[in-house]
Amino acid sequence: MDCLVVPQNQENACRFHRRAGMGLLVALICCGLTAAAQNSTRQETSKPFSIRATHLMGFESAKSNCTGTLSIQYDSLQFQQTGKTSVHINIGSVRNVFLGEESRQVGGLPMTLGKAAAPYGGGRVVSLFSHKKYDILTLEYVDSDGGIHGAIFQLDKGQGEIVKHELTARGETVSSRTDQSMKQNAAEVRYENK
Amino acid sequence: MKTSKWSQLIACVTTILAITIVLPLQSATVKSSGSETSAARWSIQVDQVDPGTPDLSYSFQAAIYENLVDELKKTKQFQEVFREGDHRASEAPKLLVLKTTVEKYTAGSETRRAVTTVSGATKLTVHSQLLTREGKVVLERTVNGDVRFFGSNLRATHNLARNIAKMLKESSWPDSLEPTAILSVQP
Repeated sequence: MDCLVVPQNQENACRFHRRAGMGLLVALICCGLTAAAQNSTRQETSKPFSIRATHLMGFESAKSNCTGTLSIQYDSLQFQQTGKTSVHINIGSVRNVFLGEESRQVGGLPMTLGKAAAPYGGGRVVSLFSHKKYDILTLEYVDSDGGIHGAIFQLDKGQGEIVKHELTARGETVSSRTDQSMKQNAAEVRYENK
Repeated sequence: MKTSKWSQLIACVTTILAITIVLPLQSATVKSSGSETSAARWSIQVDQVDPGTPDLSYSFQAAIYENLVDELKKTKQFQEVFREGDHRASEAPKLLVLKTTVEKYTAGSETRRAVTTVSGATKLTVHSQLLTREGKVVLERTVNGDVRFFGSNLRATHNLARNIAKMLKESSWPDSLEPTAILSVQP
């Protein structure tokens, strides 16, 4: 009888050890995966990000209505006009981010003059098709003296959301007003569609 | 005889030219020096725009605010133009606060303007108030700004800010709005 009982106990102990080992292994794998994911998230947020944008107004000393590169590097948001030195602000100073949409005529002044000169109202027909939708990104930030600024950027459609996501990922204060900006976004789109 | 006639004519023309050129210049100099003395010591703080109507997008509010700051700086009417929240404003000896509330907003469309010319105008009507630091209303006006033909919708905000700055430049207010005087008026 004893001979039968002892091997059974040994077998149970062995099973227990095997299960514990397996559990430990699973826990280790989970920890490893989580750490790797956290590491990649941190790398993603600290990775420099840049996008083509048109500065409409309000961003520090940058010239209005000029095209350049809007970039995020570590804790600063920069705008560099093509061929000029960049201007930057601290992401921590950004209080709100609002996203809207607007349809604009393309081609600028030369196109406008060309359309006006076209005979038999040809310019009007061209205007019907020569418009494009853009994302309008509005940032509310505070300068070193505490003064509030409103910077407006025009981005290609769909890119505003990416910039907003990047900003909210890097700044805690920005994310707190996301809902409001979403409402605003809806309002802007609604009024443009009218 | 002929030469005297010519000389008389030349003298007459010269006199007329002198009057037409010199007089407006003199009056302009007097006007500018007068406005400088009355408002040179005042600083202004531009407050953020109160949307009033929920239809107004934030980009419009920000554009009105930014254009107002720019246009008021351009006029050189005020010693300093401060933004809302600026700590330096509290140290300014004579400060006026500009509050802007949107009363009416008509959303336009650049494409509609380009196609039809007559429709699609973006219109803005705001109520502007100029207050002292203590809250006494110095000036109150309703100002319009719109874009009817060429330009983007945001151009309406530029036109509006320009009209507000022009209105402030043309208006006058008493030079002595000292806090003591205001306190004595209020019971």
